[in-house]
Amino acid sequence: MTGSGKRVLACLVVMAIMWILAAQARAQDEAASHLLRYRDREASTGYYEEYEVMPRHLRAFIEPRPGPADVVGYSPNAPTIRDRTRLADSHYGIRFYDRRRCETCHPEEARNLHTTRANLTCRQCHGGEPIPGSRYYYAPMNPIRRHAYICAKCHQGANASFATYRVHEPNPALLSTQATFPVLFWVFWIMIVIAAGTFLLFLPHTALWGIRELLAGKKGTHREREDQ
Amino acid sequence: MSSWQERKAPTVNAKTNDEATRVRRFTPLQRFFHGGLLAAFIVQGATGLGRMSVETGWGKGLCRLFGGYESALVLHKIVGILMIAGFLIHMVYLLVVIDWRRFPRMLLGPDSLVPSPRDARQFFEHLGWFFGVRPHPEFDRWGYWEKFDYWAVFWGMVILGISGLLLAFPVASSRMVPGWGLNVALWVHRIEALLAMAHVFIIHFFVAHVRRHSFPMDRAMFEGTVDLESTRREKPAWLARLKEAGRFEERLATEAPPFVRAASYLFGFVAMAAGIALLVGAVINLPRITW
Repeated sequence: MTGSGKRVLACLVVMAIMWILAAQARAQDEAASHLLRYRDREASTGYYEEYEVMPRHLRAFIEPRPGPADVVGYSPNAPTIRDRTRLADSHYGIRFYDRRRCETCHPEEARNLHTTRANLTCRQCHGGEPIPGSRYYYAPMNPIRRHAYICAKCHQGANASFATYRVHEPNPALLSTQATFPVLFWVFWIMIVIAAGTFLLFLPHTALWGIRELLAGKKGTHREREDQ
Repeated sequence: MSSWQERKAPTVNAKTNDEATRVRRFTPLQRFFHGGLLAAFIVQGATGLGRMSVETGWGKGLCRLFGGYESALVLHKIVGILMIAGFLIHMVYLLVVIDWRRFPRMLLGPDSLVPSPRDARQFFEHLGWFFGVRPHPEFDRWGYWEKFDYWAVFWGMVILGISGLLLAFPVASSRMVPGWGLNVALWVHRIEALLAMAHVFIIHFFVAHVRRHSFPMDRAMFEGTVDLESTRREKPAWLARLKEAGRFEERLATEAPPFVRAASYLFGFVAMAAGIALLVGAVINLPRITW
């Protein structure tokens, strides 16, 4: 066996030992590990203890609350109240509601991958009438049970973290997304800058290179070397 | 390794009367990996673009090639996992081929793909040559553009592999990252994939096929050898170093047999045609889809 062969063999043996010992080491770690055990129950139920707050990483979205905050209207002027997220019937009082289609009023929401790719209809997630607001306590779409009542119908085993996937994704290029989904906005633009930078550098470079070689000819392209 | 590469000295090939006009550049293993990566890249590009643009007729047709929208995704995932496996095998390969006795000094040496200050200098010298104000730089074994290509693929594999794994197993990955991370991962996967495809189908193809030095195709990655005469002009430093180390003669090879040449051209041109078809289709169809 050669020297490098022995080294490779030794590496493989060490890796195998580390692999086997990993299970023992795992058994001895802290049960309250932030990453491994602690969040499991909370993530799968969506319930957090009173003294806990919803983890920050699940709150990537800064949702604007228009209108007078948290006013629940059952009065005649309810249709004028713009924050309908806590209503049992979020379309309560809207005129000619039963004559309208979802995309008439929500054209942007109708353009999403679940609709355009998986051929889902709005009602397959949002349910039949009345469609409750997403913050209405008993709504299936309420984040405390959305994963179980909505997502898990197709995505078996979906947890509360999974349910924070944004189906109605904002356009990441827009400046308004910087306010509502900043991570997506910044990652998108960083990737675009990397891509554009690559082409800004290499497209002119390669074009000039091609032209130069074409003009110089194959023989005289490069410095002639007499010594070889 | 076939006999036309085994030839040790610049003798005359008895059968074809060919002289040793070529220099061995890539080992069979390296060429195998390039070929595998190439095939996987085309399949991933076709299945990914097909799914991405399934709202258009072109996308539907692409998906139909792979059995439809659903099975295109199955194939995309399988080939993706194979690519990740290939990447891990490449890591093991690196561990084996690294010259550990001269580690880490050799990382900045001429046989290493690690970028060094000399690459930046040669980049500007090369630019100067484009405008006729400087002599052509004497490249060594790896030109700066070749190093860039290697690391572009390297980090592309890492970025596409990680984001692809997250997207392939969304329920499992949402235990490790928040679910909204999948929104981010999808955009990262898309942009990085489009960047990679555009880079390969425009810049890499131009460098390896179109420019006069390699027209109509640089066969180095398929046959393993490069033309001695043009290498003498482009990479004199590499040849000089080989001569100094006394390893020049052993790298000399004769021209490959016609069927090997034909197979190289066939493989290369089919890949190029597929890539350009994907590029043109994507440019026409991507503006029409729901992103």
